[in-house]
Formats: sequence, C-alpha cells, structure tokens
Amino acid sequence: MTTPFSSLSVAGSGISTMKTWIDAISDNVANVNTVRRTSEEAFQARNVIAESVPGGDSIGGAETGGGVRVQKIQLASGDGVLTFDPNNSLADAQGLVRRPNVDLVDQMTSLVIAQRAYSANVTVFERARDSYLRALEIGKS
Amino acid sequence: MALIPPVSAGASSINSTIATQRPSAADSAASTQRGNDFGNSIGSALDNLQASQTKADGLAQDAATGKLKNIEEYLIAASDAQLSTQLTVAVRNKAVESFNEIMRMQI
Repeated sequence: MTTPFSSLSVAGSGISTMKTWIDAISDNVANVNTVRRTSEEAFQARNVIAESVPGGDSIGGAETGGGVRVQKIQLASGDGVLTFDPNNSLADAQGLVRRPNVDLVDQMTSLVIAQRAYSANVTVFERARDSYLRALEIGKS
Repeated sequence: MALIPPVSAGASSINSTIATQRPSAADSAASTQRGNDFGNSIGSALDNLQASQTKADGLAQDAATGKLKNIEEYLIAASDAQLSTQLTVAVRNKAVESFNEIMRMQI
C-alpha cells in the first residue's frame, strides 16, 4: 500500500536490514575464537543476503521502489581451519582443532559499512520527515 | 494510549453529516457525487490514520513489555502516525475554514 509518507517505511526497511547485518556481524565476531573438535563442523559465519523490494509509485513505467529486505542469512562453509593446538582440551590425537574461518578484518570492514549505511538511512528518514512536516505548513497562516 | 477514541467511528458520522447537509431536493447528481466523494476520502483517510495509530500503539505496548525486537520499528510507526494525524488535522482545519467562510456569506 502506498501511504502519503512512503519514504519513511522505505528508509525504515534500510534501517532494519542494516540492523540485521550488524546483528550477524556481532555474532561472527563473538565466535571468532570458537574452537570445535576436528570431528565436528567449524562455526559457520553468517552472511546477510539483501534484496530490493518492488513497490512505490509507478511513474513512466518504472517504480520508485519499496525498500530493501533480508532475503536470507547464508551460512559460510563449516570446513574452518585445522590448527595445531595440542594443549586444547578439544584437540584430537594429532593435536589438531577446527577453528572458524572468520576473517576479523573482513568483519570489521563490513561492520563499518553497515554502521554507515544505518546512519545514512536514519538521515534519509529524518530528511523525509522534515520535508513532510514542511509540506504540512503549506497554507498555514 | 487508549485515551483517544477510535477515529474510524467518526468517519461514518462525518459521512452521514455530509449526506444530510447536501442541498435537499433540487440538487444535481454531480454535486451529490462530489459530496460523497469528499466524505469517502475523509473516511478512508481516517481509516488509514486509525490503522497507523493502532500499529504505533501495539508497538509501544511491545516496547513497554520488552517484546519489541527492532526499536526503529516503533519510532517509524510513531512518526508515521504523528504525520498522518497532523495531515488529517490540517485537512479538517481547511474544511472547517471553508465551511465557516460559506456560513459567513450574505444571502
């Protein structure tokens, strides 16, 4: 449904998606040292897959768009990295454990991108709201 | 939150008020149509307002009870409800202004 204030929900969908991304990254970072036995699968990093939502006003055959949503959360491979750590209580006979294949630098970069995108969507929301409030002042005397 | 009575209940009364205030017997079909159109659009606008208020109220309740997962969801719903209310009030003010202007007319 197209409301008079559709930019608010579109910007809101961006905010929600970025929040989901930040949530997934925080879990990846929290589990960066989660070690498992070699007989088990390693911790699987979570990747958020976003997709655009059709919708909005149709002008000249194209729509203004309905925002973004999380299509799915894809789990990375559970192979992990076999590491030699004989003092670990989870180590096998060869002294190997399975560490997660999470790149902390990669996660931090994604975190900065997600945070900036979150802020950008909040700014869009505020600007749109200011515009709507300004429009409501038309003809006020 | 429940202090404000449901606005959609007022929509039907506005509709009937507009219907009774139509020029009585000799009115043209066109002006009847126009009166109904205005009543209908006010009614549907009030329904939309009611829906967004209800949504914001529900999310506010979720926030108070700790069930709210996304804080931005509530703030967006609240902003939407606030803007919708202001728009409805603006439309109503303009309509009342026009009505008063007509009532002041010398016959």
